[in-house]
Amino acid sequence: MKSEILYPGAFPMVRVELASGEHIKAESGAMVGSSPTVDVESKMEGGFLGALSRKLLTGEKFFFQTLRASRGPGEVLLAPTVPGEIVILELDGVNEYMVQKDGFLAGADTINIESKMQSLSRGLLGGEGFFILKIGGKGTLALNSFGAIHKIELKPDQEYIVDNSHLVAWSATTSYNIEKAASGWVASFTSGEGLVCRFRGPGIVYIQSRNPGSFGAWIRQFIPVSE
Amino acid sequence: MATVFSANALCFGEEFPASGAPCLVQIDGDGLTITYESTLSTSPSERVLFTGLAVSAGGLDHDHLVLKWGEGLQARTLYLKHPDLIRAFREAAPDHLSQPFEQAAERVRQVRHRHRVMWGTVAGSIMAVALGLWFGADLLVEMAVSRIPVEWEQKLGEAAYKDFLSHQDVMKEGPAVKAVEEMTQRLADQIPNNRYKFQVTVVKSDVVNAFALPGGYVVVFTGLMKKADSGEEVAGVLGHELNHVLQRHGLERIVKNLGIMAVVAIIVGDQQGLIGLMRQVGVELLTLKFDRAQEMEADLTGLQLVYRAKIDPKGMITFFQKLSEKDEGRLEWLSTHPMSSARADRLKAELAALPKRSPEPFTFQWSEVQGALGVSPVAAP
Repeated sequence: MKSEILYPGAFPMVRVELASGEHIKAESGAMVGSSPTVDVESKMEGGFLGALSRKLLTGEKFFFQTLRASRGPGEVLLAPTVPGEIVILELDGVNEYMVQKDGFLAGADTINIESKMQSLSRGLLGGEGFFILKIGGKGTLALNSFGAIHKIELKPDQEYIVDNSHLVAWSATTSYNIEKAASGWVASFTSGEGLVCRFRGPGIVYIQSRNPGSFGAWIRQFIPVSE
Repeated sequence: MATVFSANALCFGEEFPASGAPCLVQIDGDGLTITYESTLSTSPSERVLFTGLAVSAGGLDHDHLVLKWGEGLQARTLYLKHPDLIRAFREAAPDHLSQPFEQAAERVRQVRHRHRVMWGTVAGSIMAVALGLWFGADLLVEMAVSRIPVEWEQKLGEAAYKDFLSHQDVMKEGPAVKAVEEMTQRLADQIPNNRYKFQVTVVKSDVVNAFALPGGYVVVFTGLMKKADSGEEVAGVLGHELNHVLQRHGLERIVKNLGIMAVVAIIVGDQQGLIGLMRQVGVELLTLKFDRAQEMEADLTGLQLVYRAKIDPKGMITFFQKLSEKDEGRLEWLSTHPMSSARADRLKAELAALPKRSPEPFTFQWSEVQGALGVSPVAAP
């Protein structure tokens, strides 16, 4: 399996080359095009209950699709819904990533995806909701973001502060606390930042350069209100 | 050698990538052997003795065992996640490490316990709120209704009242109107602290019905008056309807229909938003059905009102009984007021508990009223 990102930037697409018999899983609806040798199957990752819990809990789509080169080698084109960069990670079997619910685009069939419940404070205040995806295993993983993806590398005990709605994915070896952006509550909210996450290394944090919630609020002002 | 390499831990250090170097950790009697992937490190393996290690818990959920050694550029941090590996470490670790290890483990347990308690509390509170809403809904509705000013109620009722009367044949004067006005006056005089000004209109229609709108607007159909054998029977129905108004049953239904959000809106004081909603349901006011408990309340308070007004309460009971008999043709009042003999029986029991009182007759003659309505005087059986 080989993958490359086409048109890097705001409107990228991933091209995956599959050898005969190889298959990948992708977010439902992510396929843009494929060779005629590739079959699309719908699969409920983790069984029906697993899929149901993922749908109900993380808001991720109920079915992942499996794209299988069942009749000889072929290629698949994949794209996310929102404009924004795609990043490809090679999971080594030891590293695990926490991914916010809209971040998963596609991955090799050898990676594992499970829903994970966050602690109450992180779920309430972290901006990713109570449930996130925990992705481990060995193989290629493609994540998508809203805006550009920025990688922050943290050494052991190094700290970094991220606005909570800009998170895409972070290593399981990092930990974070939610805190207010400024020293006082009023200043925190009037500064427009509200709550932030203080990450502590070691590990990697991927953030997106745009905040989907703020963008939605911004665009709402142009939508005429129907009576 | 590289072909069989299977990493079980991540090692962090100055020369390693930020995501950590996958490595193979083996534990023996006096320390660890860490083997790196050949591409990552110049020395393929490293040996660390237990004596040089510091132990803590780390990672997102404090479920990693973190081992640290070395200083400066040589500092290393090792993250162990695999339960087998952690167990092996625990068994092999000497005494001076087991204490910090147990402390770290204790901390993990505390964090997990705290999470469980927090989630349990949240789930419990959600359940409590849900149950509270389920069983306390009526209470909330009452609270909300009590906050609605009478003027609103009147505006709402008036709009529906005018709308209804505009396509009805209203009886403006005559003995029937006089009779109804007299009954209403006698009943209203007995209401303490009455906030409502009752308006009763007689509508020419053969429908055997009467209804009350929020704010004190009452409509009596001539069909009901023809059906009644005495003024006391009609007064009984009026007593019932007036009490729907007094108990604000119509508003309660509206608030219930509008839903719990409306209730919250009223309680927190957003009364403006509600008026729009109520306009929308204003047209529905006429088809508003009261529930069983409200009917029962109106029955009992109606009976007491009639009793206080010194109108013979037996009229109310006989009329109810009459309506509960079947094969009586088209009785509208039945459909909106599900009648049962149990209801009349309940009233009888209630009446029996009240001290006897001699009723005062009305000033009108019921036969004249009925005559004016076109009922041919039939000899009573």
